[in-house]
Amino acid sequence: MAAKGLLRAEEVYHDPTRRVRELRAKGKKVIGYPCVYVPLELLAALDIVPYRICGEMREPVTEADRVLPASFCPIMRSCLDCSLKGRHDFLDGTITVHASDPQEKTARIWQSYTRLPYFHFIDMPGTTRTEALEYFASQLDGMVTTLETFSGKKLSADRLNKAIEAYNQQRLLVQSLFELTKPSPPLVSGTEIVKVIKAVMSLPVDEGNQLLNEVLEEVKARKEKPQAKRARLLLWGSTTDDAAVMSILESNANVVFAEDCAGYRPYRGKVIVATDEVMALAIHYLLEITCARTFVQSTATPTKKDYQQDLQGRYGYLKSIISDWKIDGVILLLVRYCDPFAFEVPAVKDYFASLGIPATYIEYDYTEGSLAPMRTRVEAFLETIG
Amino acid sequence: MTTGEKKRVINRVKAMYPLRAKVDESYMRSLEAIKAGKPTVWAMLNFCYGDPVLKAMDIEVVYPENYGAALAAAGVAREYLDRADAEGFPTHLCGYSRANFGYAARLMELGGQPPPEAPMGGMPKPLFLLSSVAVCDARYKWFQALGRYLDVPVWTLEAPLPGIREFQLKDCYEEMVRLSTRHLRDFIAFVEKAVGRKMDWDKLDEIANLMMEINRVSHEINELRKAKPCPMHSRDFWSAMPPALFLLGDLKESLQLYKNLYDEVAERVKNGTSAIPEEKYRLVFAELPPWHSLDLFDRLAERGWNFVIESFGYHPPPPVDLSHVSDPIERIARYSLQRMVSNYKDALEKNVVAGVDVYIYLKYVSEWKCDGAFLHPLVSCRSASTHLPHLANILMERLKVPSLIVEGDIVDLRLFNPQDALLRAEPFEEAMEHYRKVRREAGFDW
Ligand code: SF4
Ligand code: SF4
Repeated sequence: MAAKGLLRAEEVYHDPTRRVRELRAKGKKVIGYPCVYVPLELLAALDIVPYRICGEMREPVTEADRVLPASFCPIMRSCLDCSLKGRHDFLDGTITVHASDPQEKTARIWQSYTRLPYFHFIDMPGTTRTEALEYFASQLDGMVTTLETFSGKKLSADRLNKAIEAYNQQRLLVQSLFELTKPSPPLVSGTEIVKVIKAVMSLPVDEGNQLLNEVLEEVKARKEKPQAKRARLLLWGSTTDDAAVMSILESNANVVFAEDCAGYRPYRGKVIVATDEVMALAIHYLLEITCARTFVQSTATPTKKDYQQDLQGRYGYLKSIISDWKIDGVILLLVRYCDPFAFEVPAVKDYFASLGIPATYIEYDYTEGSLAPMRTRVEAFLETIG
Repeated sequence: MTTGEKKRVINRVKAMYPLRAKVDESYMRSLEAIKAGKPTVWAMLNFCYGDPVLKAMDIEVVYPENYGAALAAAGVAREYLDRADAEGFPTHLCGYSRANFGYAARLMELGGQPPPEAPMGGMPKPLFLLSSVAVCDARYKWFQALGRYLDVPVWTLEAPLPGIREFQLKDCYEEMVRLSTRHLRDFIAFVEKAVGRKMDWDKLDEIANLMMEINRVSHEINELRKAKPCPMHSRDFWSAMPPALFLLGDLKESLQLYKNLYDEVAERVKNGTSAIPEEKYRLVFAELPPWHSLDLFDRLAERGWNFVIESFGYHPPPPVDLSHVSDPIERIARYSLQRMVSNYKDALEKNVVAGVDVYIYLKYVSEWKCDGAFLHPLVSCRSASTHLPHLANILMERLKVPSLIVEGDIVDLRLFNPQDALLRAEPFEEAMEHYRKVRREAGFDW
């Protein structure tokens, strides 16, 4: 019998391309995307399987050295490196977004060196102003146009609404998964969650939802739970999609909330369709995803900057997480050269300090070699919070 | 100075000097104006987009990016960088931004007074901050992060940048115009509120036209540099560009100065006058020059290296007729977009999908007939560096033109080693000679 629940998640986590390769062999189209700003609903509605492209920490970067400088986001370097090595040969195409500068720049190089049948780049505004939102929606319209041509299908409102529903369901299921980390000890570990979410991002939406349902059921029922450790931590950062990193953080602590792009962040809220589905997606993706790349301030047109108010406006959502998940400390974890998030570090720390929560910043270079120093840093931090 | 004797070899264009002098002049004037209570804004280079508005509103503008370079050149950046480190900013961030965080922390510690040790009188506390999403993440995340120190509002200018292919989709350009126009209108309302004055629309109209005319003349000057031998060296371009790039001082006066520069360069073309004693090799330079080691170019000029075109980001957009656009805001928006979109069609035709900043160098090299490219990646400025490895590949693949890559940095000036560049000059000349033959055999005309 095929594996289910956590075992299935483990399988997919270790061999994430297997299922999409099978689907492709059966005639499905598969499109890769490296960033959570791509509205997957539009792909699913056209019967295309989205596949989240992740870096591979254990793979030394060699090919990308020819085309990208060394002092550059190591995650994007790794993603491109894998592509150049043919690891993404099952893809029919990729969709990239002007999320951060490294992604925008890598996207263009990617397109130049890997001639997949389909490639689309979504330009994203930097602000959340009304005119920016409308521009973003027009960019999504452009993506629909190229996808329709590529797939030979026409996007129907009905199918799009169904896809929105399915992804809203997925958001809800991931939110439920994080509910299970509220008790002490948590019912599911941060390391398990990394595997589950990476697996979900490597499967079509319905299969991902089925997996999540199985995991939820299994975790609630199982006898052997993760142990309560020295502290309950919140992870804040860009993307932590490698279970080895999370298990370092969890050596002597429970990471009960992961505010990052392979954790809770892509699954916050839900898409609410009022009239126009594409606009609904634009609103959700531009306003709801809490990536540092978007310029947000407490008031749209301020006449004065009130730092505390600004911190509250930008990070206020973290306050209830701190209390609901009973967080003792925060790890700000970034890869080196992740500029959009790195600029936020002192401000985020200020915010946690205002809540009386200790926080530490750890930077790594996305190699296995960086794990041992990371462990030392986490230990030192745990010492300080007692 | 690291390259030994300081013999000047480059034949500088005389009409460049008054343009270069405008940098200091307008800085001093702006200091005076600021002392007299005129509002000051800290801005990012915004490529003809926000600057005309500030100019029309009679606001003094200082550019912390440029000031970062000044701090590095004056050798005082270290103290501010250390301060930024202590404040918790990761050390890999843009060096200019880190210097600025240190500076802002110090400024506020002194109650908003510029620190006495700051060169050129320092940067005064701004009325607001004008950031831009163009070019790099640093250029808006940096100003947002300044909120820790400065209790002033931030306006972030949008800068749409679709892909080369995606730009061809229906309505894409008009959506960019719509975004930019509406955005600029709101920005003006924001500025009016901040300074408590209304926009003088006639003045904005005049400034928009002058800005476009100055840039048109500047563009024509660069066209003249296609001549063989090239009459004007990159050093003259860098010295003369700030009044056009930053709309410094009186624009009518600038226009006249650029016209004078055009006349002198045209005269040189007529007479076959070269910018260096003997032009053996024509080179393109990307991107930011090593400001502190510019005499390297004299040493290279002694060897016959003429730098004939350079630094796309500093170049004026190609001229475009916008006389039918009566609304100055829309004219400014379309003109600002022109910098990038004017190249999209050609880039697509040439199948260069890696972006305008790569395509443009293929254009430069083939139209300015370059034998080699001098590429200068900067450790702490990713936007000026990321495209360079690909650029080197594509120049070789498409045009059989070799690249010399010499690493540097924007604040750690020791990273750039002019001696190393000089040591590599001879083998690079052999490469340039070799590929000249390869190109001729392949049917290229240079
Ligand atoms: S947000 Fe950071 S980690 Fe993610 S692509 Fe951008 S630079 Fe890399
Ligand atoms: S990274 Fe480079 S382009 Fe960006 S602000 Fe810094 S110096 Fe300027």
